Amino acid sequence: MGHKMDANGETAALKKRKREPKDVAPLTPKRQRSKSQSKPKNGTPKDATEPKDKPTPASTAPVQPAAGDLVPTESSALLEARESSSTWKVSNPMGGRMLDIDPIFSPDERHLVITYNTSIQVYGTNDSLLVRRIPLPVTRWESGKESTTAYIVASALSKTAPEYVWVACSDGRVWHINWTTGEGAETPHTIEAKKILDMTVEAVEFSKSTQDVLFVLQKLTKASGQIVAYNSEALSTKNGKLVHTYHESPQMLRTAAGGRLIVAAARETVQIGLRTKKARSFNDLEFRFHSFGVADLITSLDIRALTRRNKDGSVEIESANLALGCSHGAIFEYTDILSKLPKVGATPATPSKAGYIHPRKHHWHRRAVHSVKYSEDGNYLVSGGAETVLVLWQLDTGHRDFLPHLSATIENIVVSPRGSSYALHLDDNSAMILSTAEMKPTMYVSGIQSLVLGDRHSKEFLVRREKSSGEISTPLVAASNPTNPAQIFLCVGSGQQAATVGDEVSTPLLQVFDTASFQGVSKHAIARTNATEANITTQGVPIIEPRVTKLAFSHDGKWLASVDEWEPPESDVVPFLTGSKTVEEACRERREIYLKFWEVGSEDTPPQLVSRITEAHHTDKPETIFDVASDPTSSRFASIGNDGVVRFWTSKLRKRDGLAATGPEGQQLRAWTCSRAVALPVCGQDDALEDSTNEDSRSGAIAFSEDGSVLFAAYGAPSEAAVVAIDTETGTLRDIVSGMFRGEVRAIKSLGSCLLMLSDDLTVYDIVADELLYSFSLKETSEAAKRLTQLAVNYTSRTFALVAPIPTNDQRLRRGAKSELLVFSVEDGEPQMVHTFPQLITSVLPAAGSSGFVLVDSAAQIWSVTEGAEQGPLLQPLVDTNMDGDVPEAEAAPMDLAVVEDEGDASDAEMQDADREDEDMEDLDIHPAVVAPQRLAEIFNAAPAFAMPPIEDIFYQVAGLFSAKPLQAQN
Amino acid sequence: MAAEVLPLAQLKLPTGPSPVTAEQRYWKSFKNQKSHTSTASWPISHISFPGGSTLTSTSLTAATKQNDLFAVTSGPRVDIFSIRKREPLKTIGRFDSEAHGGEIRSDGRVLVAGEDSGRMQVFDVGQGTRAVILKTWHIHKQPVWVTKWSPTELTTLMSASDDKTVRLWDLPSNNPSRMFTGHSDYVRCGSFMPGNSNLLVSGSYDETVRIWDARSPGGSVLAFKHADPVEDVLPLPSGTTLLAAAGSTISVLDLVAAKPLKLITNHQKTVTSLCLASNGRRVVSGSLDGHVKVFETGQWNVVSGSKYPSPILSLSVITAGSTQEDRHLAVGMQSGVLSLRTRLAGPVTEKSREKAITQSALELGDMDALEALDKQKSKRKRKSMSAKSMARLGEGVDTIIPTIDPSKKRRVKLKPWQKDFRAGRYRNALDQVVDMSWPEYQPVTALTLLTALRHRSALREALEGHDEVTVLPLLKWVNKYMSDPRYLSICVDVTFHVLDLYSEHVGGSKELADSFQSLWGRVTRETEKAQMAVMTTGMVESLMMATQ
Repeated sequence: MGHKMDANGETAALKKRKREPKDVAPLTPKRQRSKSQSKPKNGTPKDATEPKDKPTPASTAPVQPAAGDLVPTESSALLEARESSSTWKVSNPMGGRMLDIDPIFSPDERHLVITYNTSIQVYGTNDSLLVRRIPLPVTRWESGKESTTAYIVASALSKTAPEYVWVACSDGRVWHINWTTGEGAETPHTIEAKKILDMTVEAVEFSKSTQDVLFVLQKLTKASGQIVAYNSEALSTKNGKLVHTYHESPQMLRTAAGGRLIVAAARETVQIGLRTKKARSFNDLEFRFHSFGVADLITSLDIRALTRRNKDGSVEIESANLALGCSHGAIFEYTDILSKLPKVGATPATPSKAGYIHPRKHHWHRRAVHSVKYSEDGNYLVSGGAETVLVLWQLDTGHRDFLPHLSATIENIVVSPRGSSYALHLDDNSAMILSTAEMKPTMYVSGIQSLVLGDRHSKEFLVRREKSSGEISTPLVAASNPTNPAQIFLCVGSGQQAATVGDEVSTPLLQVFDTASFQGVSKHAIARTNATEANITTQGVPIIEPRVTKLAFSHDGKWLASVDEWEPPESDVVPFLTGSKTVEEACRERREIYLKFWEVGSEDTPPQLVSRITEAHHTDKPETIFDVASDPTSSRFASIGNDGVVRFWTSKLRKRDGLAATGPEGQQLRAWTCSRAVALPVCGQDDALEDSTNEDSRSGAIAFSEDGSVLFAAYGAPSEAAVVAIDTETGTLRDIVSGMFRGEVRAIKSLGSCLLMLSDDLTVYDIVADELLYSFSLKETSEAAKRLTQLAVNYTSRTFALVAPIPTNDQRLRRGAKSELLVFSVEDGEPQMVHTFPQLITSVLPAAGSSGFVLVDSAAQIWSVTEGAEQGPLLQPLVDTNMDGDVPEAEAAPMDLAVVEDEGDASDAEMQDADREDEDMEDLDIHPAVVAPQRLAEIFNAAPAFAMPPIEDIFYQVAGLFSAKPLQAQN
Repeated sequence: MAAEVLPLAQLKLPTGPSPVTAEQRYWKSFKNQKSHTSTASWPISHISFPGGSTLTSTSLTAATKQNDLFAVTSGPRVDIFSIRKREPLKTIGRFDSEAHGGEIRSDGRVLVAGEDSGRMQVFDVGQGTRAVILKTWHIHKQPVWVTKWSPTELTTLMSASDDKTVRLWDLPSNNPSRMFTGHSDYVRCGSFMPGNSNLLVSGSYDETVRIWDARSPGGSVLAFKHADPVEDVLPLPSGTTLLAAAGSTISVLDLVAAKPLKLITNHQKTVTSLCLASNGRRVVSGSLDGHVKVFETGQWNVVSGSKYPSPILSLSVITAGSTQEDRHLAVGMQSGVLSLRTRLAGPVTEKSREKAITQSALELGDMDALEALDKQKSKRKRKSMSAKSMARLGEGVDTIIPTIDPSKKRRVKLKPWQKDFRAGRYRNALDQVVDMSWPEYQPVTALTLLTALRHRSALREALEGHDEVTVLPLLKWVNKYMSDPRYLSICVDVTFHVLDLYSEHVGGSKELADSFQSLWGRVTRETEKAQMAVMTTGMVESLMMATQ
């Protein structure tokens, strides 16, 4: 205590306060009091018993009930009851992650159907706009509990009815969905199978009719699988026809030539099946299987079969080529594979072993070939993988063409039905269509590109390359622009799967994501990237890019502050170790930490770097920047670092010798500089300071008060951190509150007169009344889980949200990890809502301009949480309002109007004009009106429902959108 | 969608305390000095350029556009120089005594000059090598120091003389149209106020600056008293601000408020000459201390400066082109040397560079270089030809789709070391950039590459595989830049790696041993310096503690 007084006795204000109750002991009764206040409200016997279990007031050790990750004073059953009665509600998840499943072209190439983890989404290929989102109930909920961890494994277009797609789920459900209407999503067929691995669809000619036949690869054991065929009848009776059983690890299934040819890949062997006879009916399907070995693990395959029609009308396969992409980067091509198979006699039941067939080998890829496809004419092979290069192999000459430097690993390649374009699905949750002639993108869609926990292992992991825990251990850094609430800014890397990026997450890119249209708007590099360089070293280790750790917008949305960190991988610093230096210390000495200030322009222009501060916080080495906060009233930022200094940053006109410095276009340049540095008093034992290990375990956070007059800075060693109130005008210390943190400081926020402090406790403290309102203890969890515990404040609804992963036995936050959200108001110690999410929540943001919160989860989905009374902008799934380009219904109205007008004054000259107008109308028909959903959103979200303009005005605005000439509409 | 390949971005190091500003760079770009020594080394007393006074007159800009002349007065001569050639075209020597203030009229046809005898003469400078005297006045009885043409009226001029008078003249008449009296000492400088040929300003050795109005009878309308004789006056284009050089100071006078705004005291000795530059946004001053200083006109800070070997008597910034951009900085000195420094911009630079290349290629007889040059030229020609033919082709059609998209940027060509870096030949790339004899050598390039190698975990790979000779430039580089704090971290890393990799070969190679030896010496010195710094800090800190 004596030490503290010395440290605090610096200013008069502090001496005067003499806050004796700074010690822990007097605080605890307060905490106890707040608890006891909440007790009568609950009133259930269980609650009454719980406080009794609490330890003595002097100790702050938490109790840990079984349910929930906090220590609430009520049972989870009660929470459920409260939730149903509360006004808060959670929307359905939006967005999602594109799965490693080939996107599907519609036969007329006007639509692209992309399979997401929880939905099927149909995009128009000419305008990149979402036409329809068909949600699929992939995760089944039984009495509030998630029962299975199913995921979609395959989707394929129906060959007989092209408006239908078949979608297979790993748990045996198969949907037959009309993607033009969305029918069928609720009524899946079910197959009795342990696990479906893959599915293909072929139109098989039977004697009476041509039917869709589904070939389903089912897993029997880890090392055996079977291929079962189903038609729609068999699906309803659940009696498929077993085609083949084999005893190798089953992996992939492809079919060709109207179901005459089946190829199944199983690690290092290929099972190839030929239909033995013409099938009269479904039950006649019979195949003769051969198998042969491949020199490497198969990661992708494609077959191209040519058929010919005999004189008697029967169809048979003329030749078939097979291309296999392998995990070490080789592509094996088997031309005319059928002729190389041994000719076996009658017994189709026993598969023949063909041994090893010599293929042609194409080797350029360094790592696994994620996708390989034949071009439409069969002259080219198209392949892609983690090198982010699309390789075009001219098969006759062996010449290679490249389309390098795509934004992420190529996962899937699909050749369009006419062969005029390729659809690519990249690992950064984006898909594009490239025209084959110019290799220019004609369509691009991207979802949220943050890290996800994948359902299936990436193809890279067939070969053990580097150590990776496959967990998400750092929160997603995100911010929303105060001037444009529909856009959120996410810091993302160049890949999406948590499993592939390793433990060192690099997030050098800033994705601008529009929540109204649910599309990525743009992506900008805000730290060093190696987009055009090889992304692995010669040793095969991925190159680490900087990680953006903080992001903050100024109050007017014109400026963006970002912090990025980079340190060399540990293996690099081994030669620098001398004396007693540890690897960590050597890394830390070479760390590069930048504080950058960006000028945010309009939507289309990337943010412009205005100032880069190299070592914003430093001692003898660059120090971590714990937090960056933006002043809610002026364009000012503040930062706190491990050097125990709070720095205020303001912009000013750049001057040289009294002259304003100007940019290339003569615009005045601004620069951000540190306008004030406030050294924080060190609380805690002085001798602890000398200890260098202690220095690294310090933590800190800052928050501006709502009026921007005070900055609250929390800083210190674990459990010793104190909150300092700094006058932002003078830089003097106004107040010090200590003993509020247990463990590391995670976050501090200010809401009205209250301070919200998050460490291992969640504490709400009234700074004016000097009173602890209430406090909760968080359960013991792993370090990663603590990092993912986040706090967000919504000033509109005066509430705050806490998100934390639910502790499990597994210390790592891998797939299956769940998160819990609690929404509190300051006055009430009871959470207004408790909700468990089936995925890990990686980021929580206050919804700008409304009273809710926006959450991003580990499946690239966005959830919005809103107060029930208000319809948040996120809640309206605008994309579901179905603006299908096929039906230009909107044009009908202006056409009618034109006719009516012309009838009004019917002179001949006018009639000619009318003819001309009709022609114009026909032009309109050719180019359907392209209306971006956000434009509609602008009209409908202009004001809250009670303050909307008259319905007539809205009608004309909407009509104006649709009736405008296409060119104008695009402008 | 594919990202464009860009060369490795150069590192932006933190700037030091006195970085070179854009303004300094601009004034540094006045180079290519050409010196003329006047006959018998007469001091260059006056340099005048007609454009300088016509900044505000729009009617005459067309005339000045073709104007290629400026006048330099030295001793009993006035030399007329060509702006384009930077060479004297003709010399007017028809003075009985020392000539003063030779001024060319803004249309470039006639020149007026005064002389010590008090005579004023107007010469025709247009044709012939020998200037014809058009007019002579001998009204002043004392040396005439200033003769100036009105910026607005071609036939009006002024004069100021040691007989303490300022006179206004009409070219056809034999007598002054107006005589201003009021100065009590020699009048050595004067000027018309911009935009108005009725308002005059003059500065005198009686330490006053006086404003005269031809419309008002009597004496001066405004007078400013200074502490020293006034050597030069310069009205700013706005017409409300006036600069006066008195002694070693320059005073900024506000004519509207009739008060001095600021006193500029940047010169050590008497300021002799003032001139506008950069379209009136800068003021250049020359002084007997040999310094030329450039001031911005807002806060009157010095933005640039340069030193000349001799006291400066006169200077002028000579503009050219339709935009009146600064072309030459002409400085006349006591030693009789006229220094012309030239700044070439845009197409002019390119042309002159090309010329220089051709010249050097011709001199060396390098046929390959000439051929390459020809090829380049013909390529450019073809391009413009095809553009022309496209234009002709387009006469009948509505739209032309150009073959080359103008919005498309030309792809940046990678340098050899950048190519090596991209291709993973790190050792080659590194050897190129640390070679200090490389013509494009820049320390920051080497630092950029080394940092990029560190980012790519390839530093060791790049340092491997050298022999005792090829590793030497690297050590030399490290040795040189070790002391720069911005280079220190990477130098330390390189040294660690080099020691790790090559220390075993020290015994076998003397050069390597020497290199390591000098590196060791360097490190020792640097550590000593650091220790000294720490000690000093400690002492200062204890001092600070004591004062509190």
